[in-house]
Amino acid sequence: MTANSLFHMFHQEGLMSRGRKAMAAFALVALVATGCAKGSATQESSAAGKTTVKYFTFSAAPDHVTDLDKIVKAFETANPTITVRVETAPYADYFTKLQTAVAGGAAPDTFELNYENFVSYATSGALMDMSAETAKDDLSAYAAKSVEAFKRDGKQFALPASYSAVVLFYNKDLFDKAGVDYPTADWTWDDELAAARKLTAEGVYGDFQPVQFFEFYKTLAQAGGSFFSGDGKQATFDRPEGVAAAKFLLAKPGTVMPTVADIGGTPDFDTNLFKKGKLAMWHNGIWQFAGLKDVPFDWDVVVEPASTKASAVFQNAVAVSATTKNSAAAYKWLRFLTSSEVTAQTRVATSWELPPLADPKAYAGYFEQTPPANRKAILQAVDTATPTPVIARQQEMQDIVTKALERAVSGKSKVEDALREAAKEVTALIK
Amino acid sequence: MTNRLIYAGLTVVGLVMLGPFIWTFLASTTEGGVVSWPLDPSLAAYGRLLDTMPFWRILINSVMVAVVSTALQVVTSAMAAYAFARLRFQGRDAVFVVYLATLMIPMQVLVVPLFIEMKTFDLVDTYAGLIAPTIASAFGVFFLRQAARQVPRELDEAAVMDGAGHIKIFAFVVLPLMRPALATFAIFAFMASWNAFLWPLVILRSPEFMTLPLGLANLHGQFTTEWDVVMAGSVVSVLPILVVYVLAQRHVIASVARTGLK
Repeated sequence: MTANSLFHMFHQEGLMSRGRKAMAAFALVALVATGCAKGSATQESSAAGKTTVKYFTFSAAPDHVTDLDKIVKAFETANPTITVRVETAPYADYFTKLQTAVAGGAAPDTFELNYENFVSYATSGALMDMSAETAKDDLSAYAAKSVEAFKRDGKQFALPASYSAVVLFYNKDLFDKAGVDYPTADWTWDDELAAARKLTAEGVYGDFQPVQFFEFYKTLAQAGGSFFSGDGKQATFDRPEGVAAAKFLLAKPGTVMPTVADIGGTPDFDTNLFKKGKLAMWHNGIWQFAGLKDVPFDWDVVVEPASTKASAVFQNAVAVSATTKNSAAAYKWLRFLTSSEVTAQTRVATSWELPPLADPKAYAGYFEQTPPANRKAILQAVDTATPTPVIARQQEMQDIVTKALERAVSGKSKVEDALREAAKEVTALIK
Repeated sequence: MTNRLIYAGLTVVGLVMLGPFIWTFLASTTEGGVVSWPLDPSLAAYGRLLDTMPFWRILINSVMVAVVSTALQVVTSAMAAYAFARLRFQGRDAVFVVYLATLMIPMQVLVVPLFIEMKTFDLVDTYAGLIAPTIASAFGVFFLRQAARQVPRELDEAAVMDGAGHIKIFAFVVLPLMRPALATFAIFAFMASWNAFLWPLVILRSPEFMTLPLGLANLHGQFTTEWDVVMAGSVVSVLPILVVYVLAQRHVIASVARTGLK
């Protein structure tokens, strides 16, 4: 077959018209892609006399999107001139997205931040100083400590939005079976370890506390130590208190708790262990309550054992972007979102963390719900909350500490050495 | 006997490759996502998947974006490939090398400048902004240029004798003979768009534009994750690409066989 006849063959088959059709189809698709592309956001903001406030959040998806909707609807009913447009992203990817938007000058009007990230956003100038608004406002509805946590240099850069606390979960049935008394608020580390040893049996682990940064800074505080020196310029967690805290954490894996090898990276290993009734004590957060509703055994919670009480409380806050054009509407929305009755009731009713409010009436009903019976333990945890150590290069610091603990738990280095090296690295990060 | 051994070996390797998919499927039908014996299958996770996100909308988005992006990429890459393979113009090779060099720049580096560019064009949170950066593909140009160069020049010359210009030569001589390469590249482009995460994450805001990888990521909470629902989402999102792949793969093999006969 010659090339010439090949060309004619294609021609005769009517490929030309087919080709044209294909081209036309491409052009059409491209048109559709650009034509119908504008989001409804732009349409809404063009409506007469209406302000659109964008709110970017990580804590709503996947389980509380409809709950947030309820709060938005209530706000819009009370403020008919403001429309709130919610955008969500999963926690793991949220900050990639937010960072790009802020760097690209397209930050959403309002957005959520956890405490660790709040500090770097506030110091980088991405957040609006709310002091002008808060000066005219009465913030006494919030728990004072929470409001204080989101101040920098006397300026209010965010409003507290919610909090969760870490407590000690325990399986009552396993305690009964082993003949061990239930944990109380007076328990110390030694009580916990002694009970854990008695509770550990064939197929049952006595205790579970992950060996990582978040457990370490808390146990460090329980040991009476401090993560940084007074002027905040030096990491001091390698002092004897830090060694004691690390040793307390390291005493568990392989004796009363599964080892890293046992866990093998299985997601939610500890959650499933507890749910199956094979774990007696479990250090975890109150966000687990909802998932434990239907387990076939009795369980309760208590404030974490320690001679000096110190608890981890995770706080989320909401901030206004420094570049927003709707600061008044944005502030109004955040005030409603964080302190309205609708929000408090929605959060309590759906176990969506807790509202950061001072008035115990805001939690009405929360402490009557069971299980667990001892929900008051949360208040004890909040009273003894120890702030998360935060620096600008947060993630690196957390990784350094967690890796040092991992080296120690695997026996690759002595606890003292691992902590000393980590402290040196963290001190270098601060500078 | 040796045949049997080969089959046995291939079966084992095949099962190993299939392992993750089988596990994903089993986990999606198991409460909590932790597979244990005996199996206790339930489709509850699929129901919850449909409840927690506008799944069909997300699926249609993904399909539409992938189809449009693939179609545009194939067209632009094929045209550029023809130009680089057939036309002579000043600085052609230098331009091509620079073009290839852009392959070395990872997306992570480009995200912020690209975002600012899209914002300048007012394309943030639009399908157009999502698709635009994918339209021109350096890899596609490189890949298709190789294929275009393999088409004998004598065919062009014969077409010229028949009075064809570049457009006709491109559309009716070179393009049809590049079909296997086009199909292969189309698969690559489709998969890249289907799996794209970082750029859609950054450029999209409105939930109604969400694509599947974003939807799946949204199933992870700050503190907890329902793994069976995540696995159910993974299963459903793998199915379409599997279909596309199987169909296109047959086409590729057929095209390769046909050109081999020439």
